[in-house]
Amino acid sequence: MKVLIIEDEKALSASIFAYLNSEQYICEIAADYHSAMTKIGQYDYACIILDINLPGGSGLDILKELKASKKAEGVLIISARNSLDDRLQGLNSGADDYLSKPFHLSELAARVAAIIRRKSFDGNNNLKFEELELDVFFKTVKVNDRIVDLTRKEYDLLLYFISNKNKVINKSAIAEHLWGDNMDMADSYDFIYTHIKNLRKKLMQAGARDYVKSVYGMGYKFTRS
Amino acid sequence: MNLFTRYFRINLLATVVIFILASLAFYFLLWFVSIAQVDEDLRIEQREIETYVQKYNHPPEPISVKDQNTSFAVSEIRGKYRKFNTIPSPNPAERENFRQISFTLPVNNQWILFKVSKSLEETEHLNQSIIVISLITIVAILLVSLLINRWQLRRLWKPFYNTLSGVEKFRLGEKAIPHFADSPITEFNLLNTTISQFIRNADREYFLLKEFTENASHELQTPLAIVRSTLDVMMQDEKLSESQSQSLQAAYSAIQKMSRLNQSLLLLNKIENKQFSNIISFDFKTLVQEKMTDWQELWQGRNLSISSSLESAFVSMNEQLAEMMISNLFSNAARHTPEAGHIHIKLSARAFEISNSAADGPLDQDKLFKRFSAVGQTTDHFGLGLSIVKQIADVSGMNISYRFTNGDHIFSVYFKPAGV
Repeated sequence: MKVLIIEDEKALSASIFAYLNSEQYICEIAADYHSAMTKIGQYDYACIILDINLPGGSGLDILKELKASKKAEGVLIISARNSLDDRLQGLNSGADDYLSKPFHLSELAARVAAIIRRKSFDGNNNLKFEELELDVFFKTVKVNDRIVDLTRKEYDLLLYFISNKNKVINKSAIAEHLWGDNMDMADSYDFIYTHIKNLRKKLMQAGARDYVKSVYGMGYKFTRS
Repeated sequence: MNLFTRYFRINLLATVVIFILASLAFYFLLWFVSIAQVDEDLRIEQREIETYVQKYNHPPEPISVKDQNTSFAVSEIRGKYRKFNTIPSPNPAERENFRQISFTLPVNNQWILFKVSKSLEETEHLNQSIIVISLITIVAILLVSLLINRWQLRRLWKPFYNTLSGVEKFRLGEKAIPHFADSPITEFNLLNTTISQFIRNADREYFLLKEFTENASHELQTPLAIVRSTLDVMMQDEKLSESQSQSLQAAYSAIQKMSRLNQSLLLLNKIENKQFSNIISFDFKTLVQEKMTDWQELWQGRNLSISSSLESAFVSMNEQLAEMMISNLFSNAARHTPEAGHIHIKLSARAFEISNSAADGPLDQDKLFKRFSAVGQTTDHFGLGLSIVKQIADVSGMNISYRFTNGDHIFSVYFKPAGV
C-alpha cells in the first residue's frame, strides 16, 4: 500500500517516512504543492498525509483537486494551525481525519491505518495479527475464533498496538490516545500499566501468545518476536 | 459624595451666607435711613415749636395725637440742649417704639425742656416686611437655583457620564471599542478624543502582544513536531543502551510538557478570540457524569475517595469548553489532593462545585487564576489549567470563585442565571 507524505518540513517528512515505511506501507514524499500535484496525477495512493501550509499553494487546494478528480485516496490533514476552522474546513473539503502538530508518530500511524481500513471497500472488517482477529466494525476481538471480553479501553489499546506493530510506543502517546490530551496527569502513567496488564492477561488466558514487550523506561512494543 | 452634591453644598452655603449678610446690611441701612427720616421730622417739629415760642413767647399747647406726643416741662439743664433717643411706647399695651427728640428753649427767662416723640410703628412694619420679603426671596432663589443647577448640571455633565460608562464597559481585547458621541463642550470633546486614543493604543498594543503569543505558539508547533517525531524514530533503535534510553525518555518528557504548554497557550488564545462560538443549551449533569467515568480509574489509581451529588443544570455554553472546564477542574483537584484524600463533586442548578482535601493551607486568591503562577506543591505543571477554567468562565458569562473551608479547597463555578 502506498502512502504519500506531503510536507515541506524535510525533517518531519523524513521522520514520518522512517516510521511508516515498512513491509506494510511504501511511502513517498512530496515537499511542495507542485510535486505533490504531479505525484497525485501519476499514482494512486491508499492514503495521503497532507500538510496545509505548503510552498507554492495550499494543501486545501490539493484536497479539492483530489475530490474533483474523484480519487479514492484517504486524506489525513496534519497542520500546525490547531484551530477549529482549519479542522472543519479540512473535514468539510473531504479529508478523512485531522491531526494537529505536534503529534506522536504512533498516533499518526494509527490514524493512517484507520483511514485505510475504512477506505478498503472489500467488505472485510477484520484485522488479523497472528491468532488475534479484530472486528473493527463491532469492536470485538477473537482469539482462535473465541471472543475475548475486552473493555473499550483494552480494545482501543490492542488496536493501537496492532496499528503500530513492531514499534516502540511511548507511554505518553498511549495515555493521550486512550484519554485524550485533556487528561493532564503529569508523569503518572500507572493507570496505563493497569490496562496493559489486564489486556495481556485476558489475551493470554484466551490462548494468545504475549506480544506486549515493555521497553525500559520508554513504553511498550507489540511484536511477535 | 458626587460632584453635584459637593457643588450644591458649597453653592448653598455661599448663597445662604451672602443672602443673610446682605439682608442684615439692608435691614440696618434701612433702619438708619428711616430713623434719620423720623429724626428729620422731629427737627421740623422742633423748628415749628421754636417759631411758635419766638412769636408768642410761651410754649404751645401740648397736643398728643396717636402717633405723636408732645410735652414740656421746666428744664433742669440750663442752656442749649438737644438729644435724640428711642423710647418704648408710653402706652404699655403697644409694642412699637417711639423716637423722641428732647430739646431746651428759653421761654420767659426759663429753660423749658420740650419732648416730642413719634411712633416708629410704620418704620418697624416696613422693616419687618422687608425682612420677610428678603427671606422669601432667599428661599425662592435657593430653590430655583437648586433645581436649575440640578437639571442643568446633569444635562451639562451628561457627556462625561456617558464617556465614563463607555470606558467602564470596555474590556481590553474585545472587538467593540466604545464610541463617544460628539459634545458641544470643548473639554468633553478633548476628554473623549484623549480616551479614544488611549483605548485605541492600548487595544493595538494588546492585540500585537496577543498576536505575538499566538504566532510564537504556532511557529513552535512545527519544530516541536519535528523534535517529537525524531525522538519517536530514535526510540525504535534496538541497539539503544539503558542510559541512552533514559536520556531519550527525559527529552521526550520535556517535549511532551512543552507541547502541552504550547497547546494550553493556543487554547487560551482561541478562547479569548471567541473561536468557540457555537453555544448550545444542554444538561451539565450529563457531561459531568461522562467526565467522572473517564476520570474514575485515574482517581482510583491514586486511592482518592470520590463522592458526588448531582442535580440537573441546564446551561447555555459551548460544549467543548464545558468539557475542558470540567477536565481542568478535575485534573486540578486530582493533582492537588494528597494520596488517599477525598474529592467531592456537587452540581446544582445554580453552580458546579468541586472540593478536594488540601495538603497545605489555603491558596493565594490573587495568584490562583493567573497564568504560570504555580500554586500548590507540584512543580511539574505550568499552572495554566485554572487560567483556562477562568477564561472559559469569563467568555461563558459564568463566575468562578475559590474558598478554603475545613481543610478543603473548594472551586465553584456559578452559572449564568437563566434568561440573561
